[in-house]
Parts: sequence; C-alpha cells; structure tokens
Amino acid sequence: MTHSFSVLNHSRLYAGVELRRLWLTRRGLMTLAATAVIWFLLLRYAIAPASDVVAADGFQQFFRDIFGNFGLTQLFAWPAPELAIYWIISLLLLPLFCLFFTANQLCSDLQRGTLRFLALRSSRASIVLGRFAGQMLVQGCLILLSLAATLSLAVWREGGLTMALLTASLVIAVNLLLVLLPFTALMSCFSALVRSSRLAVSLAIVSMGLVFALLSWFIFYFPDFFFLLGYLPGSQVIQLLPLQGWITLQHAWLPLVQTALLLSLATLLLKRKML
Amino acid sequence: MSHIIECQDLAKRFGSKTVLQQLSFSLDQGDVAALIGPNGAGKTTLFSILCGYLPPDHGSVRLLGHKAGSSRLFGKVAALPQDAQFDPAFSIGEQLDFYGRLQGLSARAAHEETKRVLALVELSAERKHKAGALSHGMRKRAAIAQAFIGTPELVLLDEPTAGLDPVNALQIRKLISSLSGEVSFLISSHNIFELEQLCNKVLYLQQGQLKTQSHAVADQQQHYLTLQLEQDNADAVSQALSQLEGFISVRAAQKKELVLCYNPQLCQDFDLAVLQCLAANGWRYRNLTKGQTLEQKLFSVV
Repeated sequence: MTHSFSVLNHSRLYAGVELRRLWLTRRGLMTLAATAVIWFLLLRYAIAPASDVVAADGFQQFFRDIFGNFGLTQLFAWPAPELAIYWIISLLLLPLFCLFFTANQLCSDLQRGTLRFLALRSSRASIVLGRFAGQMLVQGCLILLSLAATLSLAVWREGGLTMALLTASLVIAVNLLLVLLPFTALMSCFSALVRSSRLAVSLAIVSMGLVFALLSWFIFYFPDFFFLLGYLPGSQVIQLLPLQGWITLQHAWLPLVQTALLLSLATLLLKRKML
Repeated sequence: MSHIIECQDLAKRFGSKTVLQQLSFSLDQGDVAALIGPNGAGKTTLFSILCGYLPPDHGSVRLLGHKAGSSRLFGKVAALPQDAQFDPAFSIGEQLDFYGRLQGLSARAAHEETKRVLALVELSAERKHKAGALSHGMRKRAAIAQAFIGTPELVLLDEPTAGLDPVNALQIRKLISSLSGEVSFLISSHNIFELEQLCNKVLYLQQGQLKTQSHAVADQQQHYLTLQLEQDNADAVSQALSQLEGFISVRAAQKKELVLCYNPQLCQDFDLAVLQCLAANGWRYRNLTKGQTLEQKLFSVV
C-alpha cells in the first residue's frame, strides 16, 4: 500500500467515525437536535416573515435605501425569497458557528491520550485530514438538513418544486461548504495546538481579531497593501452576498488555497506536538 | 541477529531538565526486556520516544530497522501507553474494530480480531460497553487488548499491571509469557517480581542514564544461592556456611534472607552442601533458590 493511498484510506476511516459520532452517539444527536431548534427558530421567526417582506412590492427601494448600491438587489433574482434570506443568514452566521462547532477536532483526543493509540496505526497527516474531512461531512449534513427545511418552505409558498429552486439550493450548499472550508481548517490548526476546545475557540477569535487589527493598522500607513485584507478567511463572503448561480464559484479558489495552506500548517503542528 | 530496537546516544531535555542522556542499548528479536527505574528516571519519556510520540533531541532510535514513528511500523509495533484513554463516545468494541481497520483489516476481520483480543483479557462481555462504564482495571485491560490487535512484532508495555487485581495481573503475565518468543516485549514496571518472571533482559534507568544492562543468560554464569530462613538466626547460619568448601561470600539481603556466592569449580553441589549443613544444625529454611532475585541483582550493583 503506497503512503498516499494509506493516508487517503485512513482519512476516509476517520471521516466515517465523525459521521457515526453525529448520527449514532448521544452527543451527535444532541447536536442535531440543537441545530434543528436553531433553524426552526430562524425559519419561523426570520426567514418565513422576511420572505414575505422581500416578496412584497416596494421592498426593493427600501433595501437600496439601507444598503446602497452594493449590487445586493441581485438577491431579488433568487428563485425564492426564502433561499435569498437563507443565503444571507448562512453566509454571515455559519463561519462563526463553524469556529465553535469544529473546535474539538483534536483537543479532546490530545487531552485523553487517545491520539497515542491512533498515532501507532496511522500518520498524523491522516488524523488531521480525516478529522477535517469528517467535520466537513458533518457540516454538510447540517447544511443539507437546514437547506431542505428552507426549500420546503419555499415549495410550500411557491406551490411546487422547480428545477430553478433545486439548482439554487445546490449552489447555496456548494458555496457554503466552500466558505466553511478555511474556517474548519483554521480550527484544525488551533485544535492541534491546545488541549481544550474552549481554548481553541478563544485562541481562534483572539488571533483573527489580532491579525485583522494589525493588518488594518499596517494598511493605514501603507494603503497600497489594502489588497491583503482580501486574503483573510471569509473575505470573499461580502463579494458572494450579491451573487447568485454558478458564477459564485469564481471566488472558490481563495478558500481552497487557504484550506490547503491551513491544513498543511495543522499537519505540521500535530507532527511537532508531543503526544 | 537483527536488533528489534536500537538506540544510540539518545538525549532528551524538557527546558532545563535533562530527562535522558547518552542512552544507548539494543534489544534482539524475541527479547522480553524489563525497563526499571525510580520515578522520574525517564522510563515514560523513553517509551514515548520509542513509540514516536516524542522526538529525541539527540541520537537515533530505530525499531525493526525503521525510524521511530515511521509509517512502516504501523501494525508492527504496538504499545500500551501510560494514561491513554479510549474515546468515551463509542463502545470498546467499536474502537477496537476501528483500530483493526486502521491496521488494514477488513470490517469482518477487524470484528473477529476485536473478539479475539477482548477474550485474551477476559473482556468479551464488555464489548458493547463504553469506557466510562468500565472500572479502572477493565479499562486497563481493554487498553492492553488494543496492543495485541493484529500481529505486532514488538509490544511496548508501560506499567501493564499497575492498578490490576492479582488475578488479572496474573492473567496478563500469562498472556505476555505465552506470546514471548514470537513477539518481543519491552515492559516498564515497578513490580520487580513480575519482571523477574517475564524478562530475560533488564535495563535499569537512573536519572536518564542506563545504569545496568544485564542479560539472564549471563547472570546464570554467576553462582549465587538465595536462602530464606524460617527463624532469625542469619548470623549463626552465615558462620556455619562460611566453612563449606567453595564458599566465597555471604550477604544478608533482608532480615531472614541470605545471598551466598560460591565457586562451582570447587564445589559443584554447593546447594546440597548448604541443605546438609542446615539439617545437621537443625535450622529450618523456607526457600532455597539458585541465583539472585532481580531485586538483589539490581540494587546490590546500583
């Protein structure tokens, strides 16, 4: 078995364990229940009423008055207002949720010493990649469930399921996963550094805040480097908001490159970590 | 003979504290070696380096001809790491199945292997239980079970019987004993009686340095008898035994225990002469053993 095949095979096994953790353990089912409650509240008290407002005449002008001409009026071009609201809420909230949700990729195993059992059987790169892939699969499941609920609302209001609705939902799912990739990889790094998920979240928030502050200070004195802000994780979200359809994938390269770099860093950190 | 473990000039520091220094030793295939030393001597650090959990600051470590932690050692080197615990979200059986899958077994084979290793440590009935539902001793046995998944060539056991009741400790010793020969072991323990029963080689670590490296075969060439008396009359017995032909020296290991050193070329049946001397004087004894105990060997030298 070649080394890369072995890494892929082990990563697949680790990802499978994370899926089982979601669907077959008490803690995973609690996560599903919590997600269902949050999305029920969002659908019931935010998306459904907001969709009625968006669908109403005169709202477009009101929207322009608030947000100006950022091109956000493109949101009205979504096949259903429910999907447009879901798109905005998810793009803005999910990266934040992701920091909390994926913080425990390695911390608990480091703390318990479980990684010592695993490191005798698989490479540390497999552990990092497998846990990352598992977290992405789990987040994919949660996105699909919440998106299915939103789609049901749209279908109920529109009176039927159209190909445009399905395509738009697929675009949203793919883009959300792309947006979450670097944040999940970032948490791979922080969870390889410390032995507590709370500490990993705190470190992530403080580090991101610090990097943003330092970069802003630097750009204040050297405005030519403004473009650097565009390389921070999630920086493409603002550009994605007014877009729709597969054209959104024109920004996909950034999260993919960021993810590759962050996963390499996480692997390096875990390799240097004393187990 | 190929070395199964080869350490050359190993050193490790944590900050200003030197944990291991100038440590060199080798173990051969089939060896069952004991790693002994006081608390803080560096035993667990050495284990961690051998398992690839920790890189040495200096020196080289090779296991089965590969660098410690190499992917070529997956499934060939197994270990019972100190204080490592199972994931509390899954049952013991599910986790052992998973470890088997990581070692390249199919789902069915991993399932069968889990059954086998749980039976080895008499935990078959606990397969579906999570680690949190098991006692400390059961968790330890489950951790030992994971070390026997597949066909490891080298098993590193850090305090395998610490915290186990006598019956289960005996069971683990029997297991190690039955596998010795086909599998090489390095066992760290504070239970010298246990190591004496199991091991043919002893590494004594003190302050991060190897103080003694002895081999059971070599020790058999040294001619000692250990005599345990029933009564506290060691002085009189020593006096009488010192008159025997071949006698070299006597040392009181404990209150009623004497270690006799003799020259077998002068008296091949020195043990018989000792028994005759005891009988002639009406002194009762509890035990007469050829050689010294591991404890005597280590602590009379160190």
